Amino acid sequence: MSATDQSRPPQPPQQRQPAGAGPGADIEEKAPSRLVPVWRFTVAVLRMPSGLFGVLVMLGFVVLALACPLFIHPSDLSVTQATGPLLASPRHGYLLGTDPAGRSVLTLVLWGSRTSLAIGVMATALTMVLGATIGLLAGHFQGHVGRLLMHVTDWFIALPSLPLAIALAAVLGQGAASITIAIGVTSWTGTARLVRAQTLAVEARPFIERARALGATDTQLITRQVLPNVMPLILVSSTLTVASAILSEATLTFLGLGDPTSVSWGSLLNNAFMQGAVTAGAWWYLVPPGIAILVIVLGFTLVGRAVEHVLNARVQPR
Amino acid sequence: MTTTRRDLTRRHGRRRSVAALVVAGLAAAALLTGQAAGGSAQAASSDTTTLTVNADTQMTTFNPFLSYYDGELNVIGTIYPSLTMLNDQGEPVPYLADSWTTSPDKLTWTFKIHPGLKWSDGQPLTAADAAWTFNLIMHNATAATSNGSLVANFKSVTAPDATTLVIKTKQPQANMLYLSVPISGIPIVPEHVWKSHVSGLKNYRNMDFPVVGYGPFVLTGFKTNQYAEMTANKSFFLGAPHFDKVVTNYYSNSDAAAAALTSGELDQIDGLTPAQYNAISKKSGIQTYQTQSNGWSAIEINSGAKTRSGKPLGTGNPILKDIRVRQAIALGINRQELVTKVLDGNGVVGAGYLPPGYPQFFWKPSASESLDYNPARAKQMLDAAGYKMGPNGVRVAPDGKPLEFRLGIHSDDATDAAIAPYVKEWMSAIGIKLDVNSMSFDQLNNNLAKGDWDMLMDGWSTGPDPTYLLSIQTCGTLPDDNGQNGNTDAFFCNKSYDRLYSQQQTQFNAGQRAATIAKMQKILYAGNGDLILFYKNGLDALRTDSVTDYLQGAKAANGFYPLQHGFTSWWKAEPPAGAATAGQKASQQSSNAFKWIGLAVLVVVLIGVAVMFLRRRTAAERE
Amino acid sequence: MSVGVQLDAPAVSGPEEAPERSEFWVYLARKVGAAIVSFVMLLVVGFVIFSLIPSDPVSALTRGRPTSDAQMNHLRAQLGLDKPLWERFLTFVGHTVTGNLGYSYEYHQSVSSLIADRLWPTLLLMGTSTLISIWLGMWLGIRAGWNPGSVLDRSASAVSLALWSVPTFWLGLILLVVFGSGSVGGIPAIFPAGGLQTQGTAGGLAPSHILDVGWHLVLPCLTLVAVIFAQYVTIMRSSIIDERGNPYLLTARAKGLRDEVVRRRHAVPNALLPSVTVIFLQVGGMIGGAITVEVVYSWPGLGYLTFTALRIPDLQLLEGTFIVFSAAVIICNLIADLLYRALDPRVRRQ
Repeated sequence: MSATDQSRPPQPPQQRQPAGAGPGADIEEKAPSRLVPVWRFTVAVLRMPSGLFGVLVMLGFVVLALACPLFIHPSDLSVTQATGPLLASPRHGYLLGTDPAGRSVLTLVLWGSRTSLAIGVMATALTMVLGATIGLLAGHFQGHVGRLLMHVTDWFIALPSLPLAIALAAVLGQGAASITIAIGVTSWTGTARLVRAQTLAVEARPFIERARALGATDTQLITRQVLPNVMPLILVSSTLTVASAILSEATLTFLGLGDPTSVSWGSLLNNAFMQGAVTAGAWWYLVPPGIAILVIVLGFTLVGRAVEHVLNARVQPR
Repeated sequence: MTTTRRDLTRRHGRRRSVAALVVAGLAAAALLTGQAAGGSAQAASSDTTTLTVNADTQMTTFNPFLSYYDGELNVIGTIYPSLTMLNDQGEPVPYLADSWTTSPDKLTWTFKIHPGLKWSDGQPLTAADAAWTFNLIMHNATAATSNGSLVANFKSVTAPDATTLVIKTKQPQANMLYLSVPISGIPIVPEHVWKSHVSGLKNYRNMDFPVVGYGPFVLTGFKTNQYAEMTANKSFFLGAPHFDKVVTNYYSNSDAAAAALTSGELDQIDGLTPAQYNAISKKSGIQTYQTQSNGWSAIEINSGAKTRSGKPLGTGNPILKDIRVRQAIALGINRQELVTKVLDGNGVVGAGYLPPGYPQFFWKPSASESLDYNPARAKQMLDAAGYKMGPNGVRVAPDGKPLEFRLGIHSDDATDAAIAPYVKEWMSAIGIKLDVNSMSFDQLNNNLAKGDWDMLMDGWSTGPDPTYLLSIQTCGTLPDDNGQNGNTDAFFCNKSYDRLYSQQQTQFNAGQRAATIAKMQKILYAGNGDLILFYKNGLDALRTDSVTDYLQGAKAANGFYPLQHGFTSWWKAEPPAGAATAGQKASQQSSNAFKWIGLAVLVVVLIGVAVMFLRRRTAAERE
Repeated sequence: MSVGVQLDAPAVSGPEEAPERSEFWVYLARKVGAAIVSFVMLLVVGFVIFSLIPSDPVSALTRGRPTSDAQMNHLRAQLGLDKPLWERFLTFVGHTVTGNLGYSYEYHQSVSSLIADRLWPTLLLMGTSTLISIWLGMWLGIRAGWNPGSVLDRSASAVSLALWSVPTFWLGLILLVVFGSGSVGGIPAIFPAGGLQTQGTAGGLAPSHILDVGWHLVLPCLTLVAVIFAQYVTIMRSSIIDERGNPYLLTARAKGLRDEVVRRRHAVPNALLPSVTVIFLQVGGMIGGAITVEVVYSWPGLGYLTFTALRIPDLQLLEGTFIVFSAAVIICNLIADLLYRALDPRVRRQ
């Protein structure tokens, strides 16, 4: 995705391989105390003004998306029951004007948060599963398997993601599912690297050595020992992925690859563009969905950055 | 690590070159993008009058045997002649053919070609050119790509002398005079030029300018994705065109085209969206107008896809074979609201199969036949037919299957996407669930041909002769038993319809033929396979300060103009006398002013950057 | 992959007296080898994606025309669709390597000639935007990094972050509706609503034509710059911060040089290095931005070509643009690797 690439400042070549000392070096040796650092960590993130702001935005949108059905009745979204003037500028009763079917743009933008967030979160989940699996395998099976996996990952990083996503979505057909898959397939690489680095760090610890000596199989090692230690990092790193997934969803939907009948921010902008809102000067139809995307992506990005910052700060003093 | 002076100077050199590279890049691009542009610059500077219109679609080839897009066909229809042309009422009148006669058995047509005409390269234009063109289409599969179906009934075409063309048909053919008309019919090409292109016809794009042809204009220039330029043929035998040049500009997005009309870059524009139409109608110096529709948008229902021999085909939902369900669907759709809201009122509520652009064939159901919006009656009908309401608001058939259908729409069509939610909601109100699937044109067509669909949205438009549009509803267009070679619209097949179809093909009296076609439309309406939603008006605009007499024919009572054809409009349009052209010039000057302001800003910025660097360097050297 | 590994070995175990020159050739061969492997993988992925398509390409080609079974089979044979998969793959590779990307039936043209036509507008747009972004990004990044925490630094970071979070196409739409439509708030249509040039104007190097293209370039370029310059700010800022801690700057300061001079003459030249290579690593991300910007402004480049191919869909054309975009990224990454080595003596010594 353009978004994915944009939101990750590229590294100069010699730094492309992440250092083995991953950000999770603070995780305690003993497994039971895992929750404590997570709590401390959360507090540290919230102490940063940008982190707090981001978390508030994030939570605000999630609550809004979940609560939408409480104050938006299906008839507000219905084209056949819409009573407003067609494509009218903001006025009493229609704070952000109306769309060409006479529905309130405000209602549509609020409702659109559901689709956009849902696809963003699902695509992130897919990204995490793909990235974590490949990262774990690459980190655990060092040697040929690991090297091959990392080469594939490097190769995928180099591919321009929007053309790849377009190609995939063209093959899979329009709709939320194919967009989700296209985003997942094009954005797992960052996670894979992060997880591999963390896996290497975890596997260097003595308790893994102990488990191995006690005869644990590869599967046991990965699922019982490594995964639980890597998990917090995976979850935390997903915030940045959600941000870029939401941007990607909007972009792909705008290009006409989404479900045209569902209400999402991308599809609102696609409709506006296709139905001539630019010539009509219907700024009220164009501006709000974009602002919504901007704010939510900003929220997730700020949280992601705060998290990175906290992790880095805890690693460096050692 | 320390830096040396050499590093420093190199840095200056590189950074200064940033600005230089921008300018060089612009210049290089200008060269590359403009290298093939013809002499149209002269048009702006001298007294030449130019009519600039927007091309309806992109233009990729001017090979009339392969051409497919409207943007190309409009040009081809203007630069190549045809046997007849259409008047304001859509009736065929003489063009190349001065007169024609038919034999008593109606199988032989004899056309008298206008004598003494010459192609634009001076070679004589005779009946032999026409015969050669028709024969090529009849006998060469590649040449038949665009217009093969029009000559399918031809037995032989000959030119016994320079002014006589004889066409023999296998069956009587009532629409003969519509087969070779500008734009929608067969254009006649010069044999002496095209002979050498027959072998490589598939890849020949006909771009050797000026293109040898005959018509009110000659094609003199073309730039891919930009424009085609035509120069007037002042000796056109039916009357010289008034503009010296016609340029058709292609804008890949209609907002850009609309802006071009506002700024005076364009004189006329077709195909606006309702939002654009309303915005433009408020501007001065611009006349917006609507033209009658030549097509419809419809929801097609799979009433049981089958092959020619009656073998069922595909995965269509069998519930839709029940005509009562199809009627209920028709009753559940509020067509008037679609016109009001999706088209913003700019259209006609749908009913009959042929569009209002051809009033002679326009048919409306009587009050008793009509299936206008009546959800209460739809529910009643479904109840009576045994489709009881299920627990989740979806009715179930007596065998327990829910009334749940797929609705396929075109992913690249904004109107489809706009209509779908309305239909979905109306159906849900009468207890039918629709799953809207957005598909590419190809995918939708594939599913249609294989019978793998329940309902889908489709649209057709037609030229002045409706034969083809009527033919796709005949049993003969159903696919063979392998599911191949079908050309059916929605698997409709009705014996009486087919009988009437053959009958109208042989009816040479226009009134009788129209009556037969009305009966056919009645059968189609009763069959409920195509629910015609609306006929969308053409939303067009022109600049009154730079062109007059562009519109042909009189406004109808409902305020709509008859269908317009590029060929006639471009030929008949006139530049306004005297002062009026100033308007266009003024607007061009104002847009030029913006450019010069932009350039000035650019220059100031560049000078500023340069000064900054120079100052810095001297500062550095002072150290 | 194995190519890279094998080539790696001699570089490490090579005799100590091996001159720097031969080391460079080994490095070069390794990087070129890796790029070739990447390209082969690209071909595999392209082939897999575009031959997985469920619909029959032949029926897509012949849509809307009566075609007999025999004709269809003939076409299938012509396209080689009746051959086994591996043979089709080899043919595909052979064609692609020799520049034959297939034939677009929508445009009646070969895909390569279509792409060649549209390449220049895209290069113009991306090139201009990159140059402006670099200039702007470095200007801001250097100043922000020199005084971290200053007002300039904080506002530069804030603006960068906000522009990052904006969908490129939306920014384009907003600029378009404000400056190109003439229908918002009485602002006249200062810039054109799309396209590369005023239709029907003369081409060539006439000043009026250059001016015209430049005038059309402003909004798309501005959009793209807004989205990508932030990366250069970030890179430049962090490398300046890194350089700031270096002792040689203390030396320079101790010489009594003014702060601005120390920055310009000592810190910046060293910090520039990473940014130079980043330009080439950026191309992948820029392509995504360029596609959406070209769509919004109907800029007749490769991105717009991809978009139109997607809507039809013209799969041959889509495959062609996908391969060209990806190959461009592979080549640019290779250039970045080589450039970095050529520019930085520290890497050379490693």
